[in-house]
Amino acid sequence: MMGGVVNQPQLKSRLALVDDDDPQAPPTFKSSSQARGAPAETDATSSQAKPPMPVKQKPLLRRVSRDQWLSAVLAVASITLLFAVWYLGTKYRIEFYIRFKNVPTPYEVFRQALEMGASTKFVTNIINSVRRILAGFAIAILIGVPLGLVIGRYRHVRSFFMPVVEILRPIPAIAWVPMSIMLWPSNEASIVYITFIGAFFPILLNTIHGVHSLDGVLIRAGRCLGASEPRLFLYVILPGALPHIFTGLAVGMGVAWVSLIAAEMISGQFGVGYFTWEAYSLVDYPAIVLGMITIGVLGLACSGLIRLIGKLLMPWLAFAPGSKK
Amino acid sequence: MTELATGRIDVRTMSVVFGSGDDEVVAVNDVDLNVQPGEFVSLIGPSGCGKSTLLSIVAGFMTPSSGEAWLDDKMITKPGAERGVVFQQYSLFPWLTVRKNVEFGLKMAGVAASKRNITARELLDLAGLLAFEHHYPDQLSGGMKQRIGIIRALATSPRVLLMDEPFGALDTQTRVVMQEILTNIWQQFRISVLFVTHDIEESIFLSDRIYVMTARPGRIKAEIKVPLPRPRTPEMTETPEFVGLVRKLKGLIREESLAAMGPEIKTRGLTGFGMEVGPKGVGQIF
Repeated sequence: MMGGVVNQPQLKSRLALVDDDDPQAPPTFKSSSQARGAPAETDATSSQAKPPMPVKQKPLLRRVSRDQWLSAVLAVASITLLFAVWYLGTKYRIEFYIRFKNVPTPYEVFRQALEMGASTKFVTNIINSVRRILAGFAIAILIGVPLGLVIGRYRHVRSFFMPVVEILRPIPAIAWVPMSIMLWPSNEASIVYITFIGAFFPILLNTIHGVHSLDGVLIRAGRCLGASEPRLFLYVILPGALPHIFTGLAVGMGVAWVSLIAAEMISGQFGVGYFTWEAYSLVDYPAIVLGMITIGVLGLACSGLIRLIGKLLMPWLAFAPGSKK
Repeated sequence: MTELATGRIDVRTMSVVFGSGDDEVVAVNDVDLNVQPGEFVSLIGPSGCGKSTLLSIVAGFMTPSSGEAWLDDKMITKPGAERGVVFQQYSLFPWLTVRKNVEFGLKMAGVAASKRNITARELLDLAGLLAFEHHYPDQLSGGMKQRIGIIRALATSPRVLLMDEPFGALDTQTRVVMQEILTNIWQQFRISVLFVTHDIEESIFLSDRIYVMTARPGRIKAEIKVPLPRPRTPEMTETPEFVGLVRKLKGLIREESLAAMGPEIKTRGLTGFGMEVGPKGVGQIF
């Protein structure tokens, strides 16, 4: 709108004023009389509510559903392929470096599942594993999130805790098994501890990262709106860091399952990991595969649950820039 | 609304020094300024002159190296709800809906939920944004976000409003409209405002008084009264008084902008770059 009417003297003095440190600031090429005259017609309506932004239009919906349809087909195809390889490998007893000789067929595993599914022993194993996961994971959240918030906010707390964190973090949870058995009075407690260790570090580090990546202007805004330090944590820092915290929870849940299964295999009584290892000892091959599949399904369910809770707790992320692919 | 008897800002012999030793940079040098109750005062100057630093101190985010900032009879040491701040960057909490954002300060002040709701809706209505109360900030345009930023700062009934280039990130058209909205809001609230900007027309259109700052180290170069009547309208920008004030301020700030560009331009002059001295020559630098 201004292009043709900018005259040099005004351009000069306007440009001399544009802040160099502000790339966002549009160069304001306007002459005083004309720039204010032009948008004047819109002023009457500007303070009125503009029509709400288009939320979802039909073409978009149709495209989304076509995308979803395609990804459903691909999902079915990939799982079918997995079963096909398994089925063909076991049917023809393929031995090509990898040996399918002793691997049970899908049908054998299916029969085992029907047999086992009803047994209280199998259900008890699942309940035990889930209970250990929930306990270890809950403790990891209760310690990891508050500690992460405080470490992220205060430099001195960070200086105090981070050396220990950096030393302990590279030790895999599995390497804690012998120490854990020595440390804790019961087998159960030591398995929960190992699960906790697995989940703790991803949660802690992502929480710290979430606090650090929080825009400082939001903290300043909170302070000048009268938020005391504890309330700043509750109402600004925690919700601001929440997306990163949930990333930590998703990663932590995965590591927690890895750690739990390893711990159960080595020192457990009951649990899906124990079940799988016991099946190997008893040369019950179909049960091994059944155990593996159970672990996979439980892990999937747990991370799905975290994603669901995340979506419910953070509805605003649907509108965040960059969220739509 | 009744005239406010409180809301006087006093900045006394204030200096701000960053770094130490050889890296020492004097950002603000011996500045005195004041905002009277109910007055709209702008602080204008070239890039890096310390105007935003001054505002940060009045907001309580920084402490000066020497000198003091006072609000009424209390020295400013930390942020507080009696000073509303509007930032240049969008500062709405993305996890709260528009209405919850406006309610935030009231919630911190312990106001009951039902009362918060009423106040927030009144203010949103005033800003013409009531239809968006349940939207999230990321669903809104830049101009809408800044309007909400302003009413969020006003919600706690602060004694003064501090604005740090609040329209700096907006496009030119939105910016002009926002200036009119702001002058209308101010007309209703009659709250003391300290407004930092680098836009000359903006400062004249909005202010009762303008402080012009020098290039770093920032000092007060001039204090200019804007005698235009209230309420301000867009038509006033075409009056000879307005145009005359623009010319006067441009002259004052041009010197400082050149100084801010560094000693090269100061010592060699514009001809040193192989250009004629004159409007066209300056334009070519960019």
